[in-house]
Amino acid sequence: MAVLVLDNGAGCAKIGYSTSSDPRIIPNCVSKAKNVRTRIFIGDQIDECKDLSGLYYLLPFQKGYMVNWEVEKQVWDYMFGKEKLKVDFNESSVILTEPYFNFTSIQEAMNEILFEEYGFQAAFRTNPSYLSQYKLQQDTDSSKLCSLVLDTGYSFSHIIPYCKGKKLTESIVRVNVGGKLLTNHLKEIISYRQLMVMDETYVINQLKEDVCYVSTQFNADMLTSRKKGLANTVMRDYVLPDYTHIKRGYVRSQEETTGKAQGNEQIIRMNNERFSVPELLFRPSDVGVQEMGITEALIHCVSTTPEEMQPHFYRNIVTTGGNCLIPGFQERFHMDVRSMAPDEFDISITSSKNPVTYAWEGGVQLANDPNFHKLVVTRAEFEEHGHNICMERFEV
Amino acid sequence: MAEKRESGRIKESEQKRILDEAARRRRQRKALEALESDNFQDDPHADLKMSKKAPKFEESMDTTPQTGGRKKKKYRSDHLKYRFKKSFSALIEEEHLTNKDPPNYVSVCAPPSRLPPRHFCAVCGYISTYTCVQCGARYCSIKCLGTHQDTRCLKWTA
Repeated sequence: MAVLVLDNGAGCAKIGYSTSSDPRIIPNCVSKAKNVRTRIFIGDQIDECKDLSGLYYLLPFQKGYMVNWEVEKQVWDYMFGKEKLKVDFNESSVILTEPYFNFTSIQEAMNEILFEEYGFQAAFRTNPSYLSQYKLQQDTDSSKLCSLVLDTGYSFSHIIPYCKGKKLTESIVRVNVGGKLLTNHLKEIISYRQLMVMDETYVINQLKEDVCYVSTQFNADMLTSRKKGLANTVMRDYVLPDYTHIKRGYVRSQEETTGKAQGNEQIIRMNNERFSVPELLFRPSDVGVQEMGITEALIHCVSTTPEEMQPHFYRNIVTTGGNCLIPGFQERFHMDVRSMAPDEFDISITSSKNPVTYAWEGGVQLANDPNFHKLVVTRAEFEEHGHNICMERFEV
Repeated sequence: MAEKRESGRIKESEQKRILDEAARRRRQRKALEALESDNFQDDPHADLKMSKKAPKFEESMDTTPQTGGRKKKKYRSDHLKYRFKKSFSALIEEEHLTNKDPPNYVSVCAPPSRLPPRHFCAVCGYISTYTCVQCGARYCSIKCLGTHQDTRCLKWTA
């Protein structure tokens, strides 16, 4: 029987069969374009759209939790359907990820959707960190009993400690900063300082991915970015797309950064915005979110675990989620953990090659595990025992 | 004569409206909520007229007796739609009523940082040393204060 692995992130869904080597990464949203009034774009259909300015998003998730099944159903129907994976539900089981501490009513609705709406033969619901730590254990020295997963995604960031494949639920910590907040903050400051771009979430998200970086020397970079001329090595011009001649925004190199637009193009000058935006992951209080940053939260998380486990967590940390792709993230994260953690502990951080698909790859490995059939709930079992058996077997 | 003489600065400061602590917090909360929003603009298709393909209400009335199976399926997804029509705050409320023991959504949120907060100029983004007397926003120089007062300070009412 085929096993479908769906890492259903609030920003992007990662989906593929357990036999394939790479997932398809599909934006988990329905978008409407300003200038295309005849249709909507489901998931990655947005690639067909020529004019991406002023995109309007319908998102199934709010603050990381699914609240709009209508939208999600359109995306899932599209992904499962003939255009993408052509799923034969009678011959498939599914591994589905859900957010941490998912609400009971959503979990129950999810069971019904998987077994009754779509009719999968068997299902395993879990959270992405479970798959990540499984992969970590498979790929590295499996004698390590403890691992610590940092999952920093679209809606928020979590730190989850695992011991012998079981998560320590009481010690999980969440920081309410994710990629969405970073993009929205960048949108806000650019709109105030330079050019009104509040409508351009898509463009500004690309801008963030293209030019933002995590600083390893924040105060020094602040001083550098105040300098004028060539001494300012931070400043970059970003040319905005106009979707007639320029199909995609791009960054000018330092030599070409003049602050002057050429011809009809529109530019945004990126200076301290480049590093002060991703800085929010490490210091949420910079915008008034009264929470610890991810490294401080990690130290806090470990300090609430049993003392004899603590050195083992520091020795086996893995970073996953899209925000890890911001240049400089790994260096800064390692530097901060090293400086905040007790001196006597060794620190080892595994940075996944592809942090976005790491959990999905773990799901593929889990599907090929000889004991996988013990984890799932089959449709017959669901029909017999209802939600109870899912609640017992799945630990979300 | 002496009564008529007055200091311009004192007169000006008396006219200034100063936001109290509660109003400042309210503003801060609004700014944070904006960081969570999906879209800033309105739905560009909101004014679209219904197309021919859109279901008409009479149709479902005639088809009820014959296509029982289809109707049931439709009912199911409709019912799921309603179950999911909960807003995030309703979910939190529900969670609060049913499951009170600590490891839950509310309890796992990271506590406030132990590091002192840093302050950045609301205008230019560099380190700031001054606070706007009226609204509590931060600024770094006279120039930025001017920009702030012309554009943001008390311009949007909380």
